[in-house]
Amino acid sequence: MRRDRFSAAHPAVSFLFFVGAILLSGLIQHPAYVLAGMLCSGLYYCLLNGRKSWKRIFWLFLLFLLLSLGNPLLNHQGNTALGHIFGNPYTLESLLYGASLAGVLVSVLLWAGCYNTVMTSDKFTMLFGNLVPALSLLLVMVLRLIPGYFRKMRQITGSRESIGKGSRTDTYAHRLTEGATVLSAMTSWALESGVTTADSMRGRGYGTARRTDFQHRGLRSWDWALLLFELILLLGVATTMARGGTAAVFTPEANYAPMTGWNVPGFAAYVLFLLLPSVLTVQEMIQWQISRSRI
Amino acid sequence: MKKSSIATLIMLFLLIPAALYFGDRLPGKGYYLTGTLMTVFALVPFFLSFEHRKPQARELTVIAVLCAIAVASRLAFAWIPNFKPIFAVIMIAGFAFGQESGFLVGAVSAFASNLFFGQGLYTPWQMLAFGVAGLVAGLLRKQKALLEKPWAMGLTGFFTVFLVVGPLLDTCSVFLAANELNAKAVLGIYMAGVPVNLSQSVCTFLTLLLIGKPFLEKLDRVRVKYGMMEAGDGL
Repeated sequence: MRRDRFSAAHPAVSFLFFVGAILLSGLIQHPAYVLAGMLCSGLYYCLLNGRKSWKRIFWLFLLFLLLSLGNPLLNHQGNTALGHIFGNPYTLESLLYGASLAGVLVSVLLWAGCYNTVMTSDKFTMLFGNLVPALSLLLVMVLRLIPGYFRKMRQITGSRESIGKGSRTDTYAHRLTEGATVLSAMTSWALESGVTTADSMRGRGYGTARRTDFQHRGLRSWDWALLLFELILLLGVATTMARGGTAAVFTPEANYAPMTGWNVPGFAAYVLFLLLPSVLTVQEMIQWQISRSRI
Repeated sequence: MKKSSIATLIMLFLLIPAALYFGDRLPGKGYYLTGTLMTVFALVPFFLSFEHRKPQARELTVIAVLCAIAVASRLAFAWIPNFKPIFAVIMIAGFAFGQESGFLVGAVSAFASNLFFGQGLYTPWQMLAFGVAGLVAGLLRKQKALLEKPWAMGLTGFFTVFLVVGPLLDTCSVFLAANELNAKAVLGIYMAGVPVNLSQSVCTFLTLLLIGKPFLEKLDRVRVKYGMMEAGDGL
């Protein structure tokens, strides 16, 4: 499990951050904001996943290029033609619009990737376990069962292959019936073991008392400070949005809200908000290096 | 008054108009946010009524097992490209346990499946669309003739996916992909969705044809063997 200061904070802090980050990056198309969103989400994704993250970032970069360069082929609006492809104008505005949409998509995907690492299922149940106890237990159970079923199906397929009932090279009709057989066998087993689980749950007193959490942790003053900080920054960005400071029109003429006056602190609030987890992580890393060098 | 009905009333008369009002005033793709909020609001009453029922251990596990089977079922047909039996399993859950459980199995398996294969802004739409598949099946389960004949069950699945679930999912693409909302662009996206919907409908038809009846019998067998669905058992 991750143990930096952001991941170790109360789940409410992380949840508010991800809801804010994903909503804002999905809504704002202003190029400066989109660029900031991509850089900050990429930074935190790298900090979380280390060397493994480069592969994903590479593919997302390809996706970004494909979507931005591809948009002018489908959408010919815009006044500045860069050239003509298949008799249609390839416009700068459409290219910028494609880049902005692709940037939105990439940052949302990266934030969602970070969310999956930081917000583990026990944190999710801790947040919503008392609000919607049955539903969050249901979700955690499903997430636990799925990998088990994958395993069971591989076992069934393997044993059927070893008696010559494999389905790799056969006709489609055969593959279909074979799939149905495997699914059917898995289901019988799953239902029976499900009932056993239920009886065991009842034996241990499910539903007789309030749910307790895996981690015992309340909101400390540090968590309150972080929550307040996040809320203030979100409010700042929301005000800027309401005042039109994040507005961006692409066609027929590119026209963005200028970075002057009150729009500057709004943008600064957005960047600060997105950098929050990275800053806390880096601070923790530096502190760790210092304390280790003292030994 | 029940807590869940109060929440539903608040949803209907406060949150939905508020979302419509503010969504209209947001710059850029505000209508996308409004549409997504609508789907979330449509999901909440179902979840609250499940919560309110205080489900017992057996109901909870059977629903969890069905959701997990719906998500995992894809692996059984891994050797056939693009074959997704998930709608068929959701509909079987609806046939067996009624509309509420059917909807729940659909919505939860959409969410869980996205946790494995990538969460996105389309998640609430998928939850709604998958849930509706289970809901429709649950509403049709009184029609005994449909459940007796495998091909009739298959055709029910085919039309449910093609006419209800597919268009619902395409509505999400309309909001995501259309640069501006006009009749021509919207119709174009719905038309572009037809081949995909058709292939998924065929998958559902084939899966229900093959496993629909045996699955219902299996569920029945478990019910008889463990004495479920009896008074005071919660299922």
